[in-house]
Amino acid sequence: MNREKEFDDELETHLSLLIEKFTRQGMTPEDAFHAARRQFGGITQVKQQRRDSTGFTQFGIFANDVGHAIRMLWKAPGFTVMAVAALTLGIGVNIAIFSVINAVILRPLKAPDAERIVRFLNTNSYGSSPIASFPQFNAWSRQTTLFEDVSAHRIDTVNLTGGLYPEQVPLARVSAKFFRLFGAPVALGRTFNPDEDVPAGAKVVVLSYELWARRFGRDPKVLGTSLVLGSEPHTVIGVLGPGFDTEQFDPLPEAWVPFQIDPHTNERGSFCAVSGRLKPGVTLATANAELRSIANEYRRTLLSPNPRATFTVQPVRDAMVSEVRPALLLLAAAVGLVLVIACANVANLMLARATGRKREIAIRAAVGASRGRILRQLLTEGLVLSLVGGALGLAVGMFGIRGLLAVHIPRIGENGAGVNLDGRVMAFTVLISLATGILFGLVPALQASRTDLTDTLKETSSRSGSGLHQTRARALFVMSEMALALVLLVGAALLIRTYTALRAVNPGFETSNVLATQMSLTATRFEKTAAMGQLVRDGVERLRALPGVTAASSACCIPLETVWQLPFFIGGRPQNGSGPPFAGWTFIAPEYFDTFKIPVVRGRAFLESDRAGAPAVVIINQAMAQRFWPQGDPLSDRLIIGRGIRPEYERDGPRQIVGIVGDVRDTGLSSRPRPAMYVPIAQLPDDVNVINLRLLPIAWFVRVRSEHPSTRSSIESELREASGGLPVTRIRSMEEVEGQSTARSRFEMTLMTIFGCSAVLLAAIGIYGLMAFAVEQRTQEIGIRLALGAGPSAVRNMVIRQAMRLALAGVAAGITAAFGLTRLLSSFLFEVRPRDPVVFIASPILLVVIALLAAWVPARRATRVDPVNALRWE
Amino acid sequence: MILKALDSMGSMHGYGIARRIEQISEDVLKLNEGTVYASLLRLGQKTWISWEWGVSENNRKAKFYSITKAGRKQLARETEDWERISGVVTRMLRFARPQ
Repeated sequence: MNREKEFDDELETHLSLLIEKFTRQGMTPEDAFHAARRQFGGITQVKQQRRDSTGFTQFGIFANDVGHAIRMLWKAPGFTVMAVAALTLGIGVNIAIFSVINAVILRPLKAPDAERIVRFLNTNSYGSSPIASFPQFNAWSRQTTLFEDVSAHRIDTVNLTGGLYPEQVPLARVSAKFFRLFGAPVALGRTFNPDEDVPAGAKVVVLSYELWARRFGRDPKVLGTSLVLGSEPHTVIGVLGPGFDTEQFDPLPEAWVPFQIDPHTNERGSFCAVSGRLKPGVTLATANAELRSIANEYRRTLLSPNPRATFTVQPVRDAMVSEVRPALLLLAAAVGLVLVIACANVANLMLARATGRKREIAIRAAVGASRGRILRQLLTEGLVLSLVGGALGLAVGMFGIRGLLAVHIPRIGENGAGVNLDGRVMAFTVLISLATGILFGLVPALQASRTDLTDTLKETSSRSGSGLHQTRARALFVMSEMALALVLLVGAALLIRTYTALRAVNPGFETSNVLATQMSLTATRFEKTAAMGQLVRDGVERLRALPGVTAASSACCIPLETVWQLPFFIGGRPQNGSGPPFAGWTFIAPEYFDTFKIPVVRGRAFLESDRAGAPAVVIINQAMAQRFWPQGDPLSDRLIIGRGIRPEYERDGPRQIVGIVGDVRDTGLSSRPRPAMYVPIAQLPDDVNVINLRLLPIAWFVRVRSEHPSTRSSIESELREASGGLPVTRIRSMEEVEGQSTARSRFEMTLMTIFGCSAVLLAAIGIYGLMAFAVEQRTQEIGIRLALGAGPSAVRNMVIRQAMRLALAGVAAGITAAFGLTRLLSSFLFEVRPRDPVVFIASPILLVVIALLAAWVPARRATRVDPVNALRWE
Repeated sequence: MILKALDSMGSMHGYGIARRIEQISEDVLKLNEGTVYASLLRLGQKTWISWEWGVSENNRKAKFYSITKAGRKQLARETEDWERISGVVTRMLRFARPQ
């Protein structure tokens, strides 16, 4: 029931009782009514008191303030536009970065009890790796007091054949508990039983919803049919629901088969990633403490070589994003600075405006507004501004960032599709807007509300200049803006230098005019080396026959994307104590070095005659030759590769070194070329071939003179024919591969540059605003100076000198800060030192020049002051 | 004063409280009866009093207020305060008398 009405009734009752009393005392009804009203007093006042006490009036005052604020801002469009623009920029960049952080770091996994799901890591003094061996998985699965649903997974690429067309699909091998661990919804059928997840268990497959929809038109009759995955028929037993959160996998699996790991295996050469859920009551800390002793036990029983290695667990979400987290936090710090600059800017604008509004505020105070009331009014103005800025910033930031997200960051989806507006982003927008409004609104409001009534009202409006205190506050704001802008500018410059250095790196091979594609040979008839050698010979021949093709080859992997490392022994040399050294290991077809234009420095490249049965050969790179043969001649030595890592490699006999080739940065442009070995495809032991093909599809490379529109499709069809119908992945140019390998660095650089430029722009506006205001305030003084004979250049220099004093002080502070802070950037830099002299000289100069330009305009205005007018000002 | 009235008389509506105050202050304290409601609101917000709907003597709907436990505690405190202050006042009056 309506409270207002209730209260009215109550008062009504009271009055009627009074009237009755008076009537009983003998009054006429009319007199009684008036007497009752008299005795009761002001009904309206009582009602108003009740309304005040409910707190709704507070809202009324707030609504009033908001209305007033909007009217005041509307009347000062110049100020409002400037302030909103600065805030949109400041808040927008923050929302942009927050929305990415939200998608990547904060958003929980869509799994039951997701916070307790952990990834198992092999940790040593260098860092952690989620790559685990089967015996490790078995050891962890046995820790049933700590974890439950411990499960392994690995994603391979296999060919899906049969049906209309063959295609390569990412196939997840998972242990049976996996689906329970991640709460996989089942749309149709079932997932694996534990008795299917045993060595040589049933060949069954669960389809992803996408594959089911794409290939089977959501036909429920797919259950029980057979699907040929990598030449092996698998029975379809289920389909997962569309909502299954597979973003933790890369690439997204389309089919799921049981891993079938032997629980007693000793085989350490196969890999998987292992996840599990912490048991209720087990904390991350206790789990990690227990794992340390489990690691010791494991080392003792399995004689694991590395005594410093241990096991740890990490929440799976953190493990997924640990690589990008530092970059995101760096960007978050940068946008925080931009926001502070924007706040300082708007605070400055408000201070300037408050000076002009002194009389308005004094009058409000004179007619009875309390200081708190005025403060509230001014803060409300700030909040209205910041909320408008926040709303615009949300639009600009959220959608602006999507355009920049063509970069590989886990969990953001294709081109940033995973970066969405959700409750957290909304809450962040509101909070940051409110905080911003209070941050920039409080100082000006406090100052403005501290008005001395009589003085202000006595003053004429034109002379109510800025008090000393106020100018000092404004100067301080501008100085800090300059300092922060310099810090950001230095950061951006360092990243720009990094990126250009990265792009200028000579990778050691020519990427232009080389096309690459991949083909999965897992479980096909090409697993035997002889068959694969035949396929590669045939394929390369076909490719080379295409018009415009100058060279073609094949290899285990695409440079800059995947590199194998294997241990090696040099024949005849004694082994030293710390175990064998490792070097990159690539198996290639003969024309590989021609295709990539990698120079053969000594000896020879591979020939067709280096086939199975011929003397085993290997080619090394210069880095390896220099490191391991500082004096001697590598060409007279032989290498034993892969011994001790897994049994398959034991059959690979000693290989004669027949050539030395140029160094290649195949592990990434930013890492130095490492020792590398190349072996001919045709000479791989069969077993080695099988395990490599299981882990990775083979790559084909084609060097063209110039690319024709039909080149890519003919490459595709030739390879399909050569392989008897196997599909290849989308053909990419090696330049594209190179671009993808530096995309992260480009992303960081682009964002930092945007933030740095925003900061400089804001700082320039800040210094312009301050000087323009100062010139306006000093019109009279300048007029007097001019009248007394000061030349225009003297006046101009005076203004510029004042501005420059602020700018230089700010820059000096900024240099000091940047000097300390850039150390934090060092892990993002490449071939640039954090205190790079070029950056530390160029950035301050740039900023000072911009400040000079910003001060120039008001300085010019000062020289144009007409002394007569200025003195007549009042 | 309202608390005291409610304490001694039990549950009462606004009109009754006004009458009671009129009665105990022996018409010395003549105030607008409307102010009673302002006080009732304030006391209600401090949870010193509670109320329930009832029917008044002239068969109209009325709120009947009564003192709560917290209210009694407050009353005790205030009474004590009042006695202390009035004690001081009386003493001062006594000292003043000889002049």
